[in-house]
Amino acid sequence: MMKPMRVDDILNNNVWDVDYEPHIRVDSSKCRECDEKPCLLLCPAQCYTLAGEEVLFSYEGCVECGTCRLVCPNDAVTWNYPVSGRGIHFRFS
Amino acid sequence: MKEVGYKFDVIVVGAGPAGSAAAYTLAKKGFKVLLVERGRVPGSKNVFGGRVYADPVGEVFDGLDGAPIHRWVTRERISLVSGGEMSSFEFRGSKRTSFTTYLTELAGWMARKVEEAGGVVLTEITVDGLVVEGGRVTGIRVGDERLTSDVVIDAEGINRLLLERAGLVPKLSVRHTGLGVKEVIKLQRDRLEDLFGLEGDEGMAWLMLGDVTDGLPGGAFLYTNRDSVSLGLVIALGDAVKEVGRHVSRYVEALRLHPLLRRYLRDGRIMEYSAHLVPEYTWPDLPHLLYTDGLLVAGDAAGLLLNLGYNFRGVDFAAYSGYLAARAVERAHEMGGMTSENLAIYRDLLEESFVLRQLRKFRRAPRMRENRRLYGAYPGLVNAIMDQLFNSPYETPKVMEALRRAREGRIGWLEMVRDLLEMVRSV
Repeated sequence: MMKPMRVDDILNNNVWDVDYEPHIRVDSSKCRECDEKPCLLLCPAQCYTLAGEEVLFSYEGCVECGTCRLVCPNDAVTWNYPVSGRGIHFRFS
Repeated sequence: MKEVGYKFDVIVVGAGPAGSAAAYTLAKKGFKVLLVERGRVPGSKNVFGGRVYADPVGEVFDGLDGAPIHRWVTRERISLVSGGEMSSFEFRGSKRTSFTTYLTELAGWMARKVEEAGGVVLTEITVDGLVVEGGRVTGIRVGDERLTSDVVIDAEGINRLLLERAGLVPKLSVRHTGLGVKEVIKLQRDRLEDLFGLEGDEGMAWLMLGDVTDGLPGGAFLYTNRDSVSLGLVIALGDAVKEVGRHVSRYVEALRLHPLLRRYLRDGRIMEYSAHLVPEYTWPDLPHLLYTDGLLVAGDAAGLLLNLGYNFRGVDFAAYSGYLAARAVERAHEMGGMTSENLAIYRDLLEESFVLRQLRKFRRAPRMRENRRLYGAYPGLVNAIMDQLFNSPYETPKVMEALRRAREGRIGWLEMVRDLLEMVRSV
């Protein structure tokens, strides 16, 4: 039976080889000034979360779509692809 | 920067459908081709909705002989969804025009064809930049190494970081981009065939418009694979930035749990969750970079994808543009070099092919898709008409009577006529 699932549990079906270094860097000082924070709802992997006033970013569950790079109104996101075959490894998409 | 000694005729960036099509075509003709891919294996970074039109891809890849095809789409269903109600139109045929698969598998198969044809495929290589010397692209940069070639075919995908870094295109804008999110859900094969009324290798493509996107421009889809379904949606990112009301994964979750859909999926198990950006340019009003000195651009990186609202064509457009890029290289080689002047033939080849002919023909489609009434008023209108026609216990109204009642408070006659005209002109 299909039940409601948290994003984390849905993401757990994926396979990653997480890079040692984050492939995305976020300038959190810009996030503090940001009123809109579209990344919170639009990053499909929910890599951006809110802790109080602070935007927390984790790159581990990234599916490498590029959405955050485009939706960030303040260019706070320095976006790269992971190196050496690391990152998401899709098998059925 | 270190120069790597060996020089290739052609370097292709990205082993997706566009890159592999280009590399395969050139390798067959005897060019020394290097295909570089950032994934662990070709395909491992590829995502699509779920269907491929076979003929254009088959034209490039030997009639798709041996390709990983899951199901041939013989059943097309389009549904208008509002408030837990759904009106559907279904077409059932027997022609084998498009098929479902995993793009991860298909791209892997394409890259193996490149190797069989004598191309060199290097994986786990993330290209950092294009090498541009005197306005001419002369190779690629990976870390502090550079590889040179007569021409680079850029098939890096929608995010086209290399083109942006080289200053060849502006930053991709949300206004020209859709966001696709999907779950692949495992089902027992015979169960899936029973549920969707399929036999053997028949498949279904199901598109849903309406409140499944919370009124945002876009649509939801379900494709049947061999023993799974791809369930997801595409939303216009420019609108989503301003109006998204919940986390984007919740839209797919709501589909999976939707009272009208959950019966199909209740024995399912999520195999994978993925997301991908979709180019939604208006062609030819916006500047697309297709070529410059020493460079050709193919597939998503060039924005070559057709979104009609009720159908998407990306993989075949990508593969065919890669194939035409390869033919342009061939011609430029005969003409004496990979100058912008000689490579301009690529644009001509695209213009003559279905790729640009289709994008030109449907150039009004992106504007039409912005019409919010397609996702709110109209699905509601159609469902309200159906409700009256079938759920009137005593007195069934005439169709026009039902339309008039359904229309009230939803939409004016004039708006309806205008929308209808626009729709007829667009698609």
